[in-house]
Amino acid sequence: MPKQLIRLVVNGEGHEVAVEPWWSLLHVVREVIGLTGSKEGCGTGDCGACSMIVNGRLVTSCIFLALEADGAQVTTIEGIGGDKGLHPIQQAFVEEGAVQCGYCIPGMIVAAYDLLRQNPRPTLEEIRYALAGNLCRCTGYTKIYQAVLRAAEMMGG
Amino acid sequence: MAEVGDVRKAFRHVGKPVPRVDAPAKVTGRTIYGDDLKLPRMLHVKLVHAPVAHARIKGIDASKALAVPGVEAVITAQDLPPHRYDPDNRTRVLLARDEVLFYGQPVAAVLARDPYTSAYARDLVEVQYEELPPVLDPLEALRPDAPLARGSVQALEEGEVGGHITVEGAEARKEEGPRNVASTITFKRGDVEQGFKEAAAVVEGTWRTPMAHQSYIEPHVIVADYDSTGRLSIWSSTQAPFHVRNEVAKTLGLPETRVRVISTEVGGGFGGKIYLYEALVGALAMTLQRPVKLTMSRKEDMLAATPAPNCIVQLKMGMKADGTLSALKARVIFDTGAFPGAPLLPGCLLIGGFYKCPNLEIEGLEVFTNKVSVGALRAPGAHNVAFALESALDMLARRLELDPMEVRLKNAVEKGDPLPSGQPYPAIGLKECLEAVAKSQLWQRRHEIRAHPNRGVGLAVGGWLGGLQPASATVTLNADGTVNALVGAADITGTNTAFAQIVAEVLNLPLEMVRVTTGDTDSAPYAGMSAGSKVTFTVGRAVKLAAEDAKEQILRIASQRLEAPPEELELVDGVVRVRGREDKQLTFRELGRWSTAFGGRYPPIVGRGAVAPRLQAPSFSAQAVEVEVDPNTGQVQVLSWVVAQDVGFAINPMAVEGQMQGGSTQGLGLALFEEMAYDEQGRLLNPNLLDYRLPTTADVPPIETIIVEVPSEDGPYGARIVGEPSIVPGPAAVANAVADAIGARVFQAPLTPEKILHALGKIKD
Repeated sequence: MPKQLIRLVVNGEGHEVAVEPWWSLLHVVREVIGLTGSKEGCGTGDCGACSMIVNGRLVTSCIFLALEADGAQVTTIEGIGGDKGLHPIQQAFVEEGAVQCGYCIPGMIVAAYDLLRQNPRPTLEEIRYALAGNLCRCTGYTKIYQAVLRAAEMMGG
Repeated sequence: MAEVGDVRKAFRHVGKPVPRVDAPAKVTGRTIYGDDLKLPRMLHVKLVHAPVAHARIKGIDASKALAVPGVEAVITAQDLPPHRYDPDNRTRVLLARDEVLFYGQPVAAVLARDPYTSAYARDLVEVQYEELPPVLDPLEALRPDAPLARGSVQALEEGEVGGHITVEGAEARKEEGPRNVASTITFKRGDVEQGFKEAAAVVEGTWRTPMAHQSYIEPHVIVADYDSTGRLSIWSSTQAPFHVRNEVAKTLGLPETRVRVISTEVGGGFGGKIYLYEALVGALAMTLQRPVKLTMSRKEDMLAATPAPNCIVQLKMGMKADGTLSALKARVIFDTGAFPGAPLLPGCLLIGGFYKCPNLEIEGLEVFTNKVSVGALRAPGAHNVAFALESALDMLARRLELDPMEVRLKNAVEKGDPLPSGQPYPAIGLKECLEAVAKSQLWQRRHEIRAHPNRGVGLAVGGWLGGLQPASATVTLNADGTVNALVGAADITGTNTAFAQIVAEVLNLPLEMVRVTTGDTDSAPYAGMSAGSKVTFTVGRAVKLAAEDAKEQILRIASQRLEAPPEELELVDGVVRVRGREDKQLTFRELGRWSTAFGGRYPPIVGRGAVAPRLQAPSFSAQAVEVEVDPNTGQVQVLSWVVAQDVGFAINPMAVEGQMQGGSTQGLGLALFEEMAYDEQGRLLNPNLLDYRLPTTADVPPIETIIVEVPSEDGPYGARIVGEPSIVPGPAAVANAVADAIGARVFQAPLTPEKILHALGKIKD
């Protein structure tokens, strides 16, 4: 089967990519578009390190077929803060010590961003529920809870 | 701890919470990890993993794989360049030669232009196997009539190949003795039978902890490039760059000058990323004369990296009526899988190393089976034995109607007490940790909590002795007056931030003026591996010495220039001045220029620090856990968790808390969820993160930390080891909490709903 052309907007920038039918969105974003902030931790949608927001929905991009992203609006970690300085969520993660090895962190921050978009002032329990799809092996999560609570405060939610 | 607080006030940087200097790069996704690397003409390798646990390889047919467009080569053991092969060392069996020893063992490598193609072609490699009976259960493996897990066991049994630790009583092994033994160890003190006679209560049981995976979120990644000058460069997500260099050089027969290891950002290691496939990927790069990248998938990592061993502890303990331990008899069996390397020595030391006990007898056995060979997992071997020891201690306390806290305080080891080996403890803070937990709100509320049906509180302790390895560092002054420090240790836990604090402290600089870099093995001063909890403890000392050396050089020049003796000079924010004389000063910037520019009159400032620490600084942790058990489903929910740990001196309390919380959470995972499950043919049933269940945010409550500071003798500012101890108490603390909640004791981790219901008598075998 020949490659198929898809068009997608990643962090506000349009891309046209010829994709194999079995390619994941993560593969396209990392290997073709060259945004390597999103990580593959499991390849089966279980760890959340590849989290992206596609058409307003939080997805694990390692099991999201690239073909299904045709015409999609995609937000990755690179679309949050970055060149314009740190986003308050990123700032809070730094200041609260919520980052250790960092491999899960891009996905974790995308998930936290998605949460705060929908629920600007979440309770601890709501944070624990919302981030349950993002595994972190280093921090034990406590400082991540603190960071998200603090970010919500900083963002005036 | 009031006096420690006073000490802290004397410092400007050390002892203060500081965000990791590398955190901004990590939160924006800018940090480069191994899988983000690309080299020109790079090939992607996928390994062919054996689908059987024990077999002879009869033939390999790669023709179909080679016919796939984009496939460049299929390499088997026969095709590898000449190298040092050792059937008893996992890292010297690059690919299986004649015999497959575990399910998932690599037998061939498929190299293609992209990873999808190599993965596709990998499945087309046809390997013919003649299956052999797999040896899977370590107790079965020990039977005199058991089949052998590997052909070379006989040689090991005859002592031709030494174990990796001291083997006592090897001569006792006879024809009729246990089989499949990789190594043994025994410790004896006093007279255990007499000790049991003196006991008012004796408990006995068998505790089991399964194989568990370190489950770093970043699977192993290695990139290798062999250039036209004959130098092999290896980028690896390793915790141990110098160790990898030395081992790769030895295995491939290269001098260390021709192997360069660059440790890429480590996406979690926990002992599981020391050294694995670097020599193989290096050999492939040499064979193909092209850069080669191995990115393991989660499944491949779970099949064929080095998880933590299955362990069986048969333990009998006696206690006098007053709560004093009188006897401890233990048999500790580690299933090492197909190659030696189980943590037998620490397991056997620590089971008799938390409490004073005049009479003990500890026997350890490391047993071969046809499972993946094991490696370190944060305090290797310790949680396995602590699960037994700390459960048994609670059972004794209950039997004698004593308070579990009082019993622990009464028997806890202190400075000078001997380990089972006879070696005395240096300064330690186990008692202080227990006292800290005793004062915690959770422990104070325990009677109130117990009033709720199905809720309980459990207590357990755990410790780790820590590793020692020489370390060195340099501190240099730049032309603009800023300062660089160079180390050889991979920064996993934020150690480079702690080093920046140390340098800024010694030179009295703002933290922003200091940059700490981990160099590669060609450029960096030597450091041991980032394992054994020792990076800050050992490399930190070298960094401190290097900064002090740089300071001395700065003072020497300043003393000449300012015409004042060094003891009258002070360093303040990059300025050297005569105390009390604002007019007599010079800046680091001037010094930097004079020691670097054309016609510079001073040699560059290069501070050097090198240490060979010989005295350990063990660290203990005490933890209390509140759980609620659903007696109908067997579900356990952790409601609160408090961890106290003696860290000597917390150079960066924020990072130290993170270590304590992370380790505790791994303990929670081992207690409730984590288990590598094998079928009766030795096939791993759950090589993914859905069925191998890690703790999630839904499982882990906020963890309260209490930093205890009993200074170590040798550590920088009194710091001791930090990383590992917090994982140790978890399984026992949870089991004790469950027993407290429902009155039923579970002897097997993880405490799954099934095991809880079994313990409650609600389901039968």
